[in-house]
Amino acid sequence: MNIGQDIIGATTDVFSTMLMMDLVVGDPVDGAGGEVESNITAMLGLGGDIRGMLAVHCPAAVAMAITGGFLGVDVDELNEDVKDAIGEIANMIAGNLKTAFAGYDLKIELAIPTSIIGKSYRVGGMVGARRVAVPFTMEQGAFLVELKYIVNS
Amino acid sequence: MGNNVLLVDDSSTMRKIVGRSLRQAGIEFDNIFEAADGLQALEVLEKESVDIVLSDINMPNMDGIAFLREKATRANMKNIPVFMISTETGEDIIGEAKSLGAIGAIKKPFTPDMVNEVLGPFLK
Repeated sequence: MNIGQDIIGATTDVFSTMLMMDLVVGDPVDGAGGEVESNITAMLGLGGDIRGMLAVHCPAAVAMAITGGFLGVDVDELNEDVKDAIGEIANMIAGNLKTAFAGYDLKIELAIPTSIIGKSYRVGGMVGARRVAVPFTMEQGAFLVELKYIVNS
Repeated sequence: MGNNVLLVDDSSTMRKIVGRSLRQAGIEFDNIFEAADGLQALEVLEKESVDIVLSDINMPNMDGIAFLREKATRANMKNIPVFMISTETGEDIIGEAKSLGAIGAIKKPFTPDMVNEVLGPFLK
């Protein structure tokens, strides 16, 4: 399993297909570190052979640019549309990861994404979970895709 | 010839994207109705004349599979074709959707060309 590469493939596919946008891919981080300034986080739970949580952490400028790209309009505030759009990004990345994990003979189920907006918040982890995170950069800034997971034995 | 299309997805963003993809694909339609889950979709189908339904699978309240199951029991809507548009691509869940009457599936993420290729023959 190469979770970092799976995250990269899943994320770049979503951005190139839905937003026609090529991302600059950073080095995957295995363990702590790699955080980016974040004003909105979309989270989605995974169950089945792998349980855990996928999170997409974005600064406001990145989240608004993604939403504007989706909707074809300028977006200048963090609102429900932005929460919905970043949630859908997380959903599609998770869907691609589900397909990638099926290649390892691992079957997972996806929950429905949830998004939070704030200036100062922490997303708690799972005890004993492994963390892999990959930073991506677009014109408006960097965002982070993070997977915390436990492979059920 | 126009079409009445029902888009079912808990993401308002995705409903807009699918609607825009239909337009970009050059598919003609008269009305696009929207629903945020299976329950709302059933309400729309009870009230409106719909030619085709494009539905997500993972949704709160009533998901796409439960929607198909319930729709199949209602004589006034059971023959309306449904395409699934979802991140779900597993043979098991898509197979279940097809066994309940879905006539095809499009995987998210998608391009307008992919939408046109799959839906064009049904909507033009």
